Amino acid sequence: MAEYKKNKNLEIVGFACSYCSFKASEMAGSLRMKYPEGVKIVEVPCSSRVDPAFIIKAIVEGADGVFVSGCHPGDCHFIKGNYYTRRKIAALKEMFNAFSMQGRLRLFWVSASEARRFVEKVSSMYNHIKEKNNEREKA
Amino acid sequence: MRTGIFICHCGHNIKHTVDVKKLSEYFRNFPTVVVSEDYPFVCSEPGQAMIQDSIKKQGLNRVLIASCTPSLHTDLFKDLLKKSDLNPFLLRRVSIREHCSWVGNDIDYNTEKARRLILAGLYSASHSAPLEEKVVDVTQSALIIGGGVAGLSAALFLSRMGMQVYLVEKNNDLGGHVRKLKNLWPSGKDGEEIINEMVKTLQTRKNVAIFTSTRITGFEGFFGNYQVTLSTPEEEKKLTVGGVIIAIGFSPFNPGIKPELHYGKDERIITTLDFEDKGDTLTLPPQPKIAILHCVGSRDEQIGKLYCSRVCCINALRVTHALKTRYGDAYIESFYMDMRAHPRGGEEYYEDIQEKGVLFTRANVAEIIPTSKGIVIRGEDTLLGEVFEREFDLVVLSIGMSPPEDSKFIASLLKITLDKDQFFLEAHIKLRPYDTAIKGIFIAGSCSGPKDIEESINHGRASAVKLFGFLNLGYAFVDPFTAWVDPKRCSGCRMCEQACVAKAIQFDEVQRVVKVEEAACMGCGLCNATCPSSAIMLKGYVDSMIDDEISAFVETL
Repeated sequence: MAEYKKNKNLEIVGFACSYCSFKASEMAGSLRMKYPEGVKIVEVPCSSRVDPAFIIKAIVEGADGVFVSGCHPGDCHFIKGNYYTRRKIAALKEMFNAFSMQGRLRLFWVSASEARRFVEKVSSMYNHIKEKNNEREKA
Repeated sequence: MRTGIFICHCGHNIKHTVDVKKLSEYFRNFPTVVVSEDYPFVCSEPGQAMIQDSIKKQGLNRVLIASCTPSLHTDLFKDLLKKSDLNPFLLRRVSIREHCSWVGNDIDYNTEKARRLILAGLYSASHSAPLEEKVVDVTQSALIIGGGVAGLSAALFLSRMGMQVYLVEKNNDLGGHVRKLKNLWPSGKDGEEIINEMVKTLQTRKNVAIFTSTRITGFEGFFGNYQVTLSTPEEEKKLTVGGVIIAIGFSPFNPGIKPELHYGKDERIITTLDFEDKGDTLTLPPQPKIAILHCVGSRDEQIGKLYCSRVCCINALRVTHALKTRYGDAYIESFYMDMRAHPRGGEEYYEDIQEKGVLFTRANVAEIIPTSKGIVIRGEDTLLGEVFEREFDLVVLSIGMSPPEDSKFIASLLKITLDKDQFFLEAHIKLRPYDTAIKGIFIAGSCSGPKDIEESINHGRASAVKLFGFLNLGYAFVDPFTAWVDPKRCSGCRMCEQACVAKAIQFDEVQRVVKVEEAACMGCGLCNATCPSSAIMLKGYVDSMIDDEISAFVETL
């Protein structure tokens, strides 16, 4: 499949919990909502399953951005998994900042019914990274 | 490794933006792939036969189906694998419809994305291991929250089938809103009559426990064994139930939210619900002028209620009919946006009332102004495009349905989702209209969106049938995605023990390693992400699976 050119689209790897965010992404699809094609989602049982090592691996291997998405605080199917995620990602974000990679990692909460919110969050992240990349190229 | 890849066209749904032929040819070159086929509908009978055939003839030990999202048809394909003597957890679903073909329009890019998604599935499937489904006992009892028509009809069905039923109602009598209604359309019966009939049958049954003036204060557990705490007027009561039906109904829209209607400031402005109580004691002058206002609290952008309440058109017609019968010489004008007399016989009823001399005006009412003489209605006739001002002696507001007051409380307690209007959300609007996302919890009646009495009764009964189907077996299969410890790797640092929310991890003092209590493990994978030595892993979502998936997505494997 050689005709495909990578530089046109950004690669974003997402981790979505199977109870809320993955359901929202399914719903976004079935409502035929459009969001950037470069977004690819890994289904995890809970956002707390996401090891920071996965995020670093994705970035090291060439992803332009990574997002982690879970249920709203208090709504976690596993009671408080997403609180652990919040802490982990906050620590990881510090590291990303140290490498001037702000905005490459995002954490957001999307419930199963919020397909529109999912699309908005993903698109805004995509556009943000794209803008930053363009600025860098110009410089 | 002998993998079979089956790529679904889903009619045109996938085929129109993904080059499926190219994909199936591409995957044939992989050494681990034995079969790679594309087919118009993999979930159809011939499609299933094709998979079964390939498993037998080619001796497949991994089956990858690239089609719709995993929450659809997975059970079907799992059964298919079971029938072919293959462990159902060797099935891998890849969503190339909801997450690929319906997302973008560019064929080249979509094909590439689908290729990567399938590649990720292929790599991750190579790490999957046969697992045994856990069997848990199911308590054969049901909790029904809400004693309105929907809850009553669910209770009637379940109790007749011999299931223990606990019916909880927060008010001191059963029946909800229907009890207040009089002379229902089209039967002409009073609501109370219908409710009493249902309650009487229910009270004769021994396997029904009715709790009135009771609220739910605690809820935990999983399908088959939910622990519920009730606070009854006498005591705090704990129950174990197998499943739950939520039928908490609706709350009538409060027109006080819209100050321009002056509801509650003048007793000549009433709602359709007030009419049920006050209808007999109304004092009106001879030849009274009466206005009926439709769509109060429905289809209104200003108050954020865009939905149609569905029942209020017929309800307003019913009130109109009652008024016209009582005051034959009255001038009645009905201000509507659109007339939606959808139930069977509704249109005829509408026409009948028109013939009786009731005037229907398509209008947007802007304001109701009570004066000392009469009540002035100011609005715009949307057919003539003219502004009008008319005086009436009585104004009846046909109020819509708002979500139940307790919807947020129940949703957070039972961990189920609400839609944007704060009604309960069904698992799938067409395929699973009674289920919530959580197994064993069902919704019934108007708490999942406006419904009339007939629909609520049907909805309640349908949810009861679905729940009965789950409970009647007496056992249930649970996904075996639990944590597992490799004792050789475990250093005994006990970090996972501290992290575990379910308290399923215990430290073995003798061997200095941790152990997992499988029955308690919820399968969130938090321990897996916490372990510094990768000794604990979540079955079905092991590290190497996710690592390979990421690699396939960004392609550097």
